[in-house]
This record gives sequence, C-alpha cells and structure tokens, in this order.
Amino acid sequence: MFNVPVSAPRALGTLADAPLNSAASNPLTSGLTADQQPGQTSIDQLLQGNPALWRGCDLAGHGDHGQSTGFAELDDILPGRGWPRNGLMEVVAPHWGSGELQLLLPLMRSVIARGQWLLWVSPPYLLYAPALVQAGIDIRQVLVVDLETTCRDALWTLEKALQTRNCGLVLAWQNWLPGKVLRRLQLAATAGDTLGVLFKHHDSKHSPSPLRLQIKDSSPEDRPCSESEVTLIKARGNFSARSARLPLPLSPFCAHSSANAISA
Amino acid sequence: MEKSDPSAQLPLPSLPDRNGAQVIALPRTAPAPQSRTQPASSRKRFALWYALYFPQLETLAEKPRQEALQQLAGQAQNISATVSYHDCALVAEIRSSLKYFGGLQAIHESLQAPLQQCLAELQLSSEYGYAATPTVTGSLLLARAGHNSAVYRPDNLRSALGHLPYEVLHLHREQNRRLYNMGVRQLKDLWRLPMEGLRKRFGSELVSLLNKALGKAPEPTRNYLPPPAFHTSYDLPYGVENLDRLLPVADEMLAQLNDFLRRRDLVTDLLQFKLLHENREATVVRLGLRQASRSREHLLLLLQTHFASLTVPAPVSGLQLNVLQFDAHAPDSETLPGQQANHTNSNLDLFMEQLHARLGVQPVRTLDTVAEHCPEYACQLNEYDAQAEREQQLPHAQAVSDRPRPVWLLPKPQLLTLRNNRLYYRKAITLLSGPERIETRWWSGEDVQRDYYVAREASGSRLWVFRERGGERNWYLHGLFA
Repeated sequence: MFNVPVSAPRALGTLADAPLNSAASNPLTSGLTADQQPGQTSIDQLLQGNPALWRGCDLAGHGDHGQSTGFAELDDILPGRGWPRNGLMEVVAPHWGSGELQLLLPLMRSVIARGQWLLWVSPPYLLYAPALVQAGIDIRQVLVVDLETTCRDALWTLEKALQTRNCGLVLAWQNWLPGKVLRRLQLAATAGDTLGVLFKHHDSKHSPSPLRLQIKDSSPEDRPCSESEVTLIKARGNFSARSARLPLPLSPFCAHSSANAISA
Repeated sequence: MEKSDPSAQLPLPSLPDRNGAQVIALPRTAPAPQSRTQPASSRKRFALWYALYFPQLETLAEKPRQEALQQLAGQAQNISATVSYHDCALVAEIRSSLKYFGGLQAIHESLQAPLQQCLAELQLSSEYGYAATPTVTGSLLLARAGHNSAVYRPDNLRSALGHLPYEVLHLHREQNRRLYNMGVRQLKDLWRLPMEGLRKRFGSELVSLLNKALGKAPEPTRNYLPPPAFHTSYDLPYGVENLDRLLPVADEMLAQLNDFLRRRDLVTDLLQFKLLHENREATVVRLGLRQASRSREHLLLLLQTHFASLTVPAPVSGLQLNVLQFDAHAPDSETLPGQQANHTNSNLDLFMEQLHARLGVQPVRTLDTVAEHCPEYACQLNEYDAQAEREQQLPHAQAVSDRPRPVWLLPKPQLLTLRNNRLYYRKAITLLSGPERIETRWWSGEDVQRDYYVAREASGSRLWVFRERGGERNWYLHGLFA
C-alpha cells in the first residue's frame, strides 16, 4: 500500500503479540491527512520504537526502545540500542570485580534521576558508599537488603521489589536459579515495569531471561585503564552472539598515577 | 441614655426624584433595650467554671506536659462533661454537676484523691491550686494566685479578682516592668485605667484577657475528648492450625475496624492481633504501618505477610484485635493533570512494610558516608526506619576522598601471600597505581598506617590492596572494584 523506502531488503514485520493495529494505524492516518507524504522517518520510528514488535531479519543495534547504556559500543550490539526497559537480565562474570557494576553505572544514575530506588539484594560484599558517591549516584535512594538467611527470602524480596514500580533497578547475586523461578521473576519485572539484574559466575543455558551477557576483562597486563569484553550470549531480537570491547576505566583518577613496582 | 422614638424615621437618602417614585420609610423596630450594668448571663443560669492549676507542670517540657494534662483531664472528667485544656491548668464546668455532687466542697473532695494519686504516678508534687468562678479566665487567675476560693455570681467577680497581684496575668517581663512603673500593683488598678489606652500600650491581648475574666468577652476553649479505643475479638468454634484459614475472620474484624475508623475520621498506624490458644500464652502479631491507613485490603495483605513467616505453637482458638495507636485522617490531595501523581510513595511504603513484616527491620538498610579517613569507618549502614523519621530532604552525601574507592569492601582485610616478589590472591597480582597513604586512628588504640594500591589480578578482577607500614608489613586485600 505504502511505498516504504527501506535501506536494506527486509522481510515484512513479524508479529509477536504486538498490538500493531492500535499502535500503528493512528500515526499513519494522521500522517496521510497532513499534506506531506508518509515519510520514511515516521514508519521507521514506528517499527523501531516498539519493543513488542520483532522483525525477522532485524539485527541488534536497531530500534530505539531501549534505554541507552552510556557506552556507544554496547548500544550497537544491543537490540533497541540500549538496556531493556523492564524484564530480567543476567550478567555473567567469572569473578566479581570484572567491571560488571561499572557497566551499569550510567543506568543507575538515570534510574536515580528518575526518582526511583536502587535495590541491592544480598550483595556478596559490603556495599561501599564512598564509591557510589564518587560515581555520581545519590545514595539517598539506595537500599540494601542484606540477607544472611535463606535463598527463599531473597527470592521473595526480589519478586516483591520487581513488582514495585518505585524500584527502578533491582540488583541481585544468585548463582543458580531454576528456570521456573527465573520465569516468575521475569513476569514480576514486566508487571512492575522494573529492570532486574542477576549477577552470576556461570552461564546457564536455556535460561528464560530475555537478556544474558558475559563480561570478561580483556585488557593487556599492566595497563591502568582496563578494557572489558562484553559478549551477548542471548538477547531477545538477536540471533548470533556478538561482542564489544569497552574501555571501563577504574575511575577518572586512576589514570593520573602510573604503576609503581613492588619493592618487597 | 437617650431613648430613640421607635416611630422616628431614618434620615432619608437624598435621591433624585425620578418618575415621581416615592421612597416609603418603614417604621423602625425598637432596638432591644441593652443595659450595660447587667451582663446577659445573669438572666439565664450562668455557668460555673472550676479551674485546677498545676504549678509543677511549668518545669516540664512541652510534650510530657501535654501528656500529664491529658491524664489529669481523664480524672477531671469524672466531675464534668466539659473539661478544657489551658496552660498548665484544666477548667471544668461544674454548675450542672453541683446538685448531683451536693455542693462545691463535695466536688473538690471527690476529685482530690484521684488527682493526687495521678500526680504521684507522674512523680510530681501533689499540691495544686483551684478556684471556681463564672468565667474561665477568672477561675484561672484565681487558681494561679493560689486563693482557692469560689465566686458564684458574676457581679462579685470584679471585687474578687481586684485584689490579685498583676503577676497572675503571666505577662511578658517587659510588660510586667511597665505595669509596675505605671503604679499598677493589683488588678483593680488596671480596671481604673481606660481600656483604649491599655490596648494602645499593651496590645489587645491584655485587654481581651481582662474582658474575658470579667465575662465581657466570649471564651472559646479546647475541650478534652476521651481517646478512641477499639477492641474486638472472635472465638473460633474449633482450633485452627492453618493460619490462612484465619484470614476470612481477620478480614471481618478489619472491616469492623474500618467502619469504626471511618466514622471517627481516624486512621491507625499500629495495631495488634492476638492469636489465642488453649492453656497457652497468646501469640501476638503487631502490624506497624509506615503511613497510617484504614484500608482493609492493605491491612489484610500485611497480616498475610506476617502469617506467612509465623508458626503457632498450638491451634488457634480465638482472635483479638486491638488498635494501639490512632492518628487523624489526612486524605491525599488530588493531583492536577500533568502533575506527577503522589501515589508512588505510598507504593514504596507498602513495599517497605511488607519487607519489614517478612524480614524484620534489621536487614533493610540505607547507606550513608561518614567523613572519616579510615576506609572501613567511612561507610555507614542505617536502618530504613531511622531515615524515615528524619526530614525528607537529607543533605547530599559528601565524597569522602578524591582517590579511587572500591564498590565492594571486604568485611575484614584478607591477608595476601607474597612469593618470589609477586603478590598472590587467587592468581598473581599486578599493582596498577598508588600508593595512597592513610595514617589515622592512632588515638583509639588501633593504629592504622597503610599504603593503598589499586591492583589487578591476572584473572581480570580489579582489587584494592594495602600494605601495613608497621609491624609485619603484610599485604592485605581490602576491596574490589566491580
């Protein structure tokens, strides 16, 4: 019907329970009633701005339904050009301290700026407030749930937090969770429009989380500013595993002083 | 006084004569004869106010004073239906109860013992001043002066109050000095002065006080209301072990509570369920609310959360509900379109209440920084409750240091091994930057002398290590940059 100018040959939109009619018809007709032609931009916006619409040969890095990660290299490999707005995300890091939190710092800042809370559920070590202040995070909106007790309580807290709209980002450290639990958390996160991040050491295949990525330090030795490699294991709307190299400086200050040799 | 003729006409306004319209003057109704010598109250039965003045309350702070007055008012309610609060004093209307008790003396005697007992419970001295006059302020002034007398007729007020020293007015110090310099020693000296001049020099408050004392001005009072109380119970026909089956009963009780609160325009933020057992002490479930509420669904949800983590030692044979704390109902203000709705905060409150109900207060913490050089003391975990108590606008936390700090801090520094001039944690460690020297806390016995380095483990973890400057000069791992 419309002559849709697209740059690459693409398959027509495949619907994944997307309310295409309601979402698409109004702007289209309004575009027609105006004296201008249905422009390329409006249709592109329609197609790319809808996270529920999945296009068969769409590659990650298109669309704009995500929230920017703050790293251009990472935006390029993520579907929707950014972190998902809600849902569950798994970050696999072989060791804590590989830059997995630094990856999320821009997101944390934007969550705080939105006036939402940041919840840390049973972190592996003491969360150190001065570091968060240095990173520009307003710690008045940070809440730590420190559980020495059962995994059950932690999961209950996770689910409740994900269902609450006040929590913009929920971070949890759980090494192994069955798929049933993950699916339940994913549902809670969608219901509460919250992004939940699970940190784990090992990747589990067949996990139902819509986004799984692995972070690994890839910087050469003796370099003060390290570089990390982020590999997308799974992302909804993406087929092949893709990876990006990100510079993750320790902090703006560490570049000043060079390494000193040990004199023991 | 010139009496106007009732049939006299008002002076007509000088209207232009239009179309020959006539202005018809209506006969003026006669004004009610008003005499200044007789107060209006003398025609009806005037009230008699019994004032109790407690000088020992003057030394107390504002809050305990209010609480003490509240308790004393409860006793004073035995002699009168109208008890009002005043500064360190209570005033009760007793004209209506004079006949029942059989005179003022009987009233005084019946009140004395419970009041003194109440004062003894509050650990206050037991003497108090009292007086009864037809005006509230008059009684108060007499009681403050310690005259302990009664004046039955308003006509006698002027002479009875006239002998009081001017200090009983509890004026400002400067005003007291000026009154003294004017030659005023007693209240009757004041009555000789022109009211307009007094108003000019001392403000209208003093004049209205004097007018109130003589019954020339109305005296609105804040009356004592007995505190609300809610208590209900339900006996189960048989013992119940599954707590979920108590929920319908609890829902019914909460509906009653909701009804009670709605009628009185109250909300509650602390209530208590008692699960009764046969031959055993009852299990108590306390529901504390972050924001006072009377919503049945909200309370039931909280109770359900409590029940989920509760085990009862025996079957439950009955249920009791008490409200421990009431609050006035303050409905949310409506938001205008385009404005951010305020319900987000109540969502968070509900979430926090659920967290506290399930996990307890301890594990839910907020963070704060402390201006302290020693790294392990620079971070503080506070209970969320304490933060809610404080003002909403906390100051923004200050950066403690401008050197890199790790996100994760180890609860206790971990000793690193040194082999062949290389440091090992799990794998070999390379130092990236440093040292940052921290020397502090020598005054507290634990002398902290450390050189901090940023390091990198061969596996990719970025570490924060330090070396002691004294003693063994050991290397420790203290944190991780995540």
